[in-house]
Amino acid sequence: MGELLQTLIQRPNFIVFAILFLWGIYIMTAHPNLVKKLIGLYIVQTSVIFFLVAFSAKEGATVPILLTDTASVDALNYANPLPHALTVTAIVVQIATLGVSLALVSAIYRKFGSLDEDEILEQLK
Amino acid sequence: MSSNLPVLLFLVPFVMGVSMPLLTAKRRSWCPNLMLGTVGVMLLLSITNLRVVLAEGPIDYAFGGWAAPIGIAWLNDSIAAIVILTINVVSLISLIYGRVVVTTGLEKSVPYYTLILIMVSGLVGIIFAADLFNLFVFLEVAALAGYALVGAAGGKGLVYAFRYLLLGSFGASLYLLGLGHLYVATGTLNMADLAIRLPELLTSTAVASGLIYIFLGLSIKMALIPLHSWLPDAYENAPSSVTPLLASTVTKVALVAWVRIEYSLITPGVEVSHVPVLVLLEELGVLAALIGGSLALIQTDLKRMFAYGGISHIGLILIGVSLGNVTGFAGGMFYLINDAVMQAALFMIAGTVLHYHGAKTLEDLRGVGRQSPWLTGALIVVAVAMVGLPPTGGFFGKWNIILGALEAQHYLAVFAVVASTLLTLGYFLKIFSCWFHQPQFAESESLEVSGALRISLGAISVSIIALGLMSDSIFQFLLESVTSGGA
Repeated sequence: MGELLQTLIQRPNFIVFAILFLWGIYIMTAHPNLVKKLIGLYIVQTSVIFFLVAFSAKEGATVPILLTDTASVDALNYANPLPHALTVTAIVVQIATLGVSLALVSAIYRKFGSLDEDEILEQLK
Repeated sequence: MSSNLPVLLFLVPFVMGVSMPLLTAKRRSWCPNLMLGTVGVMLLLSITNLRVVLAEGPIDYAFGGWAAPIGIAWLNDSIAAIVILTINVVSLISLIYGRVVVTTGLEKSVPYYTLILIMVSGLVGIIFAADLFNLFVFLEVAALAGYALVGAAGGKGLVYAFRYLLLGSFGASLYLLGLGHLYVATGTLNMADLAIRLPELLTSTAVASGLIYIFLGLSIKMALIPLHSWLPDAYENAPSSVTPLLASTVTKVALVAWVRIEYSLITPGVEVSHVPVLVLLEELGVLAALIGGSLALIQTDLKRMFAYGGISHIGLILIGVSLGNVTGFAGGMFYLINDAVMQAALFMIAGTVLHYHGAKTLEDLRGVGRQSPWLTGALIVVAVAMVGLPPTGGFFGKWNIILGALEAQHYLAVFAVVASTLLTLGYFLKIFSCWFHQPQFAESESLEVSGALRISLGAISVSIIALGLMSDSIFQFLLESVTSGGA
């Protein structure tokens, strides 16, 4: 237990990730409002992106661009570019998802006149 | 030219899908033919692709000339080629069918055709991707088009499309999280590269949790019990014209994605934290096969019954590919190809019955059999295949899964395959008892007017039987591709 606690305290980024992730799941499941469910989903997706960024952070590192081709390259001085590339793509996917889901929500609102899941399910019966 | 076939297979539907609104700005009536033409071109390309792969063996496609660990790679191997061919055949037949039973209002809507083509291109990408992140992007391309298609008819479909979207996107987030874990532990996302670095790292909790997240994410996409709840509602309320396409491809392709990951990363007998991974997967498959079959048996709605049938077959395929021997693996893959065709046939029948007879539940089916000879023929063929009787591919798939299970001495798996066969027989007997019942109304003229509908029903039945007749050569081909390590 003490060891686990120590491991956790040394990784504040991952505590933040876990809190955001679980919070997002809570909002997705607990709120009957469809837009709030979307906000929950958005928080879950953002927490995963935060996770990707958090593990690629490196102290004292700079952007991975070579200014000269003569000096020898020390990988320790540069941040890993790949997680950032993944992050950009994941954000694009997230935005596309948000676009489709908002379109669905507005269509649901026009059809059922409500955003409350309980009321919509009542109408579906 | 031939080395660029995988990219062409992706680009043809994608470019056509995106440019569809421009090309048909003046003439909307071109849309269906343009879409069918595109899928027809894809079918020719995929046949050529299969021939090239057969002649030259697996091809690694490196984008922009950057080789695998640094650049983005696609793997065009025999399994990818044969699954792509299956998907193209099934899409072409279901889209011909979709032209006939299309919901009023949809046939004039250009985005509908764009969505179908983009979904097909996403599916092609999933199958070729040899890189975990590439796979994620294509999963989302296909899934986003799928959510929109489920809701395309409006009405109740919108609510279930929204639920599908919430669960599906959550699954994608889990997949991304797992991918992050694997990247932290190994420093690579290329599957071939991961397969080299992973075995010695399997004791690490990061790798174990990464694999678990990836599996959870993909099992939402493939509707593995207990994460299946989105599927029956979504397929029940999706427009009848696209349900065959969705049901036969989306879940199966997610399973293919998992098979690729499983096959390249998890060797037989591997234990993560003292849990034998493959046995665990197989038991999940057993659960899905049994629970899915039992749930199908108690349904009264035809589409829901078929949806649960599909869920139970996902379990059967998972059993086959997780047995840890080549017989079971090839049997599972062969069953996957069969299942794609059978699901398309089932939902085509359910859609036709709903469209022409207005029958949604089993009770409404009374007497349909006396009015529609073509439909009855197709239903009998698909029922024989679903239950798994010898002339069809369903039998050979199940037979090889059972042989693989006996070889691995996993008698629970044998029991599950046999029990799910009995459950399938049970729900088809329920359908047939209504189907051939005395008609409610005394009308005798045939209700099948459209020739295209007859062609699509005939074509899908012929493909089911052809898969059975050619099962020996396809199975040998799959077996060879597995033993040569080409998966």
